[in-house]
Amino acid sequence: MGRRRLRRPDPADAARALPEAIAALSRTLPAAPSPETFRRAKFDHPEAAPALWRLLFRVLSPLPADGASASLALEAQARWVKSALRSQGYPRRALVQLPDDGSQGGRELLLALAWLLARGPLPERLLTQSHVRLGDEIPVCECEALASPGLSAPSVEAEGFVDIRHLQWLMGKLRLQWRNLMASQQEQCALLGKIHSYTRGCHSDRSLGHLSVTETELLRDPEGGRQLLRRLEMENARLEAALEWRHRELIFWQWMDTVLDACSPEASPVTFLPRIPEPGPGAVRLLARELQTLQEELREAAEARRAAWQAVVGGHGPEWRAARRALQTAVAQDLAALQRAWEQDEGRARPHGPRRLVRTDAKVPGGPGLWAAEATEALRAREACLEAALRQLQGQCRQELARLAGARPGLIWVPPPAR
Amino acid sequence: MLPAECSRRLVAELRDALDSCAERQRQLEQSLRVSRRLLRVWEPAETPAPEPTPGSEINKEGPSSACPPSPQDLKELELLTQALEKAVRVRKGLSKAGEGVKARSLKSGSASTATKASAPPSTSRCTGSRAPETKPPRGVHHPWVPAKDLPGRRLLLVGDGAHMGQGAGANKPEAGLRDQQIVPQAASQVPEAFTLKDKGALLRLPEAFRKAASRNASLWAQLSSMQTRDSVDAAAATAKTQFLQKMQTAAGLPSSMLSAAEVGRLQKACSMLRLRMREELTADPKDWTQEYRSLLTLEGLQALAGQCLHRLQELQELRSAVVEQPQGPWPEGPPRAALPCGGGADPAWSPQLLLYSSTQELQTLAALRLRVAMLDQQVHLEKVLMAELLPLLSEQEPLGRPWLALCRAAHCLLCEGGQRFLTVLQDEPADRLSPP
Repeated sequence: MGRRRLRRPDPADAARALPEAIAALSRTLPAAPSPETFRRAKFDHPEAAPALWRLLFRVLSPLPADGASASLALEAQARWVKSALRSQGYPRRALVQLPDDGSQGGRELLLALAWLLARGPLPERLLTQSHVRLGDEIPVCECEALASPGLSAPSVEAEGFVDIRHLQWLMGKLRLQWRNLMASQQEQCALLGKIHSYTRGCHSDRSLGHLSVTETELLRDPEGGRQLLRRLEMENARLEAALEWRHRELIFWQWMDTVLDACSPEASPVTFLPRIPEPGPGAVRLLARELQTLQEELREAAEARRAAWQAVVGGHGPEWRAARRALQTAVAQDLAALQRAWEQDEGRARPHGPRRLVRTDAKVPGGPGLWAAEATEALRAREACLEAALRQLQGQCRQELARLAGARPGLIWVPPPAR
Repeated sequence: MLPAECSRRLVAELRDALDSCAERQRQLEQSLRVSRRLLRVWEPAETPAPEPTPGSEINKEGPSSACPPSPQDLKELELLTQALEKAVRVRKGLSKAGEGVKARSLKSGSASTATKASAPPSTSRCTGSRAPETKPPRGVHHPWVPAKDLPGRRLLLVGDGAHMGQGAGANKPEAGLRDQQIVPQAASQVPEAFTLKDKGALLRLPEAFRKAASRNASLWAQLSSMQTRDSVDAAAATAKTQFLQKMQTAAGLPSSMLSAAEVGRLQKACSMLRLRMREELTADPKDWTQEYRSLLTLEGLQALAGQCLHRLQELQELRSAVVEQPQGPWPEGPPRAALPCGGGADPAWSPQLLLYSSTQELQTLAALRLRVAMLDQQVHLEKVLMAELLPLLSEQEPLGRPWLALCRAAHCLLCEGGQRFLTVLQDEPADRLSPP
């Protein structure tokens, strides 16, 4: 185990505590400016602003920093940061009013960073994003794949009018791509299986047993292995800094209080509105329609069941009255938990996240682990849900189209042969 | 033809779907390349094999070998040479009898001495005091990779002028053996390439790497325990909450600006409610308690859906009351879809494992995962298409062929997943029969 620094800031160290806290923060955040920049930001020094814009951009963008996003001009980054903060509910208007060229606003940006830090475990989340993966991983659920927004340059479609056949063609292309993807995936699994079984017994960690592709690759290619080692060591340094930050952060919050006080109080609501985009009206309409449909379906289902229930309720004895109350409480708690899951920022319905693949013949798990069979079961259930949803939507469309066509006399619809 | 706005949105959605599929394919192909390469014969690494000359070899060792090899080193190198000669002899003898486990252990026996001896010179330090540290109690080593030390892979044989060209030949046994100066007789007759299949079990991870990896795991564990202990560290938590409140009260933004976050939450709510509904509807109640519970749940879900809808309608009113200036093309902000799971990257607290026992099992799991992803995408596309095409069809006057064609195409897209078409027959009234 490494040396743990449990030194808490005591009065004698007071003068050193804040710089060390800020230094720890600077070491743990990716692409963070120097501690000096943070201090300059409090006094709104102009040179602090660009560095903090870049930091906020890096911190807020969900994709790992790559060439494409890093090369965005400061202005574009600044605009994006404003938009992202707004959609997270950032309260201060002054940030939104800062000039887009990124030249001003060090203090406001510092406040924004502090706001993000206060809301959740930001350094830990960032470390997870850039975590060096040593194993062969497979996500058990799909949320990470879905949550990739288009940070790419907005591709304004030059074509205005589009023939519907183009859409059909795109759908066909999509189908083909999925088929290819599935085939590739099967091959990859076969190869993984082989590599895992060939390297059985090699790993120093008994619970793993065999090497992963990454680990085998580093043995084959020492240069790549050196790079991996460097990345691992850099992550270790950031992890240590994060631990130190957690120990020292109290003094930082006391300091941020003074920063906030140094700002002039916000004036009454503005008369003009800044040019920040909201989620498109299309998305809201779609959501409203979905919610309506959902409510309708629920109403139908619930009414049917209620009617069925009323028909037989007389047949139950008095003991069911007590049971009824218990059930009502249980259901209420259940639903409250469900509601909490979407109201809070970090709700989690079931454990997810990528898991390291381990090939084993053991019948009982040596340590904590999910069996593939269980994961498969869960996925099958989800598959069934989705298939049902798709069929239901398609059925709705069929009805609607039939209705529209029915309005026109003299048409005969010949559906395609059943599968 | 579809109107411009509608076209743009639909094409954008489909292109998004295609892009995400293409991205998966790209990542998968990268993994495939790596895996295929690992299962083939391992080629020598790109570092060029040094020419076997004494002077240049010393120089190429790098700045770390500024000191001349000590007598200790020479002695150990001598041992190494002997061990390798023995290894070649043994192998020659055994390769006639065929390989077996015995061969491996014999090789490993000689190999471990070889690697033990090779460790000192191959580190960047010249002292022999490193030797005990690098003599691990492990039995089997990969013979030709000094597996503990990544940076130093070169072996030096100085003094008698003979040495091994190590670098490039590290992973290939025959490279070392072929060196005429050490084992003049046997080397060229033992062509053996390294394949994972045959010798995979001999591999060992380097020491530096193992240390770093275990430090990594321990740091993550510490960080995770700090996180759960956060409630104990009340002072910092209180300070944070107070700071947030202060920020909020000092704010002056009208509430409509904050609606974006709420819309996201409502999207999440919709997904979760729907998922829950499906679960309830597909479940099979065994007795009346379960039936009643199911009924209560459905009614509760209905109430929640109503609440969400109401809130959304409130937000819509607020937004429409706010006049916005038109914006140009803009990079999209945060993610569009609401996710049934928590969304966002949850910190990787403890290492989570997925255990499988056969390739078949793994393939089934992976295929199912992709299928779920595909279905998810299809459901989303279906909703988008419905939202765009159905209003179009109902608004347009059914003016003959164009509308019919559109209707037929829409049916194909919406009801058959773009795969099959229906046939539309127009039944002309008899008195209006006219040849085309």
